[in-house]
Amino acid sequence: MKISECPVNKLGVSAAQKLIDRVVAEARKGRLKKRNLVWLEATGCSGNIISLLNGSNPDFRYFIRDMVNLVYNNSLMASEGEAAFEHLVRVSTADFILAVEGAVATKDKGLYNVIGNWKGKPVTAIDAVRWLGERAAHVIAVGACATHGGPSAAKPNPSQSVSVQSVLKRKVIKLPGCPCHPDWFLGTLAHLLLYGQPLLDEFDRPLMFYGTLIHDLCPRRSFFEKGIFAEKLGEKTCMFKLGCRGPVTRVDCPVRQWNDYVNWPIGDDTPCIGCAQFGFPDAMEPFISYDIT
Amino acid sequence: MNGFELIRGQTNNLLIEINGYINCLHLTPCPYTRNMLLTLLRQKISFLSFLNNLQYSLGVRQPDILPQQTFTVEQLSKYDGKNGQPAYIAVNGLVYDVTNSAAWAAATHFGLSAGRDLTREFLNCHQEQQQILNSLPVIGRLVQ
Ligand code: SF4
Repeated sequence: MKISECPVNKLGVSAAQKLIDRVVAEARKGRLKKRNLVWLEATGCSGNIISLLNGSNPDFRYFIRDMVNLVYNNSLMASEGEAAFEHLVRVSTADFILAVEGAVATKDKGLYNVIGNWKGKPVTAIDAVRWLGERAAHVIAVGACATHGGPSAAKPNPSQSVSVQSVLKRKVIKLPGCPCHPDWFLGTLAHLLLYGQPLLDEFDRPLMFYGTLIHDLCPRRSFFEKGIFAEKLGEKTCMFKLGCRGPVTRVDCPVRQWNDYVNWPIGDDTPCIGCAQFGFPDAMEPFISYDIT
Repeated sequence: MNGFELIRGQTNNLLIEINGYINCLHLTPCPYTRNMLLTLLRQKISFLSFLNNLQYSLGVRQPDILPQQTFTVEQLSKYDGKNGQPAYIAVNGLVYDVTNSAAWAAATHFGLSAGRDLTREFLNCHQEQQQILNSLPVIGRLVQ
């Protein structure tokens, strides 16, 4: 049986879509009010919003037309400068869900990351995350930097970046990944809209996406058990000896896959680098090793 | 490798897997995945009982409580998992083999490398998780 035919895999891949369909159906029947969403970009590369734009089940248009009112995102919105910031100020007293991508730079009172200006004064990411984070109905940290510091907080961490949770005293739902898969975010958001907070593990990751280790569902697992290991990149066997982080990374890449569900790193003969594990990238290095016993 | 070592290796692997599946069972909300995990667990348990019977039929005895080999910190540092050397680590005075432990890909684990006494690090992250150590083969003792 091909992995794509497995009923467990099918269920996993369509889970986000099913939740989102439900959101739209409920909204059309007038049973669900569209809620405001603020997407803040803090200290990072904006890769998570780019990843979201690549979503296919559903696509991004569906997301902003049928699921939420996307009130603020500095990469995508038409307004700019203080006019854009005004949207933030207005929504801060209403009901809204906050998504943050990027870590929070703390050095020199956060001046390493200024995300906008208000009344002529610079607003730092740390100010914005605290201000909105305390007022939001839910806070979702999207991607490695927001959930645990990620590449922004990698050694030597010149901006002294930290996770969103470190500056907020409240529950922050965490979606690690570098970047976060569109389904992980949209599925979590759909669950929030329909039923409230999804089931989370002890690190506040939604179990529906972060429930199993990559190693547990890896199609190369039988090679691991038999001790047949790849010695260089490009071989079709288990990449444990090259430094694969699948055994310590808890997420559903083997069944969900990326870029419209076509492939994923191990499927393309490169080891998992543990981008969805806390501590990435420093704790997941070296990404590749050749002289291993 | 003699029969006993082979059986011990296999048993250890099975225990690691069984632990892993039980962890997954706790975590997964999906009924299909749970069924799959239960099936896998049953398979592993029947393999365990097979190994158990095999051990008796071969007449292999349990090893003396602990291997007698000793390592100084310096000797331990040679076993870093590179260039043909196995990967050993020490925790609480015992030396364990992590060469084929899944969480130790390329003889590294969350930024730590093999060949060192990792007692402090183990207690920091896995306090009260002795079962992790139980699943690793013991190689010897660490001495001053
Ligand atoms: S390739 Fe990686 S995830 Fe797959 S079986 Fe090997 S070690 Fe596990």
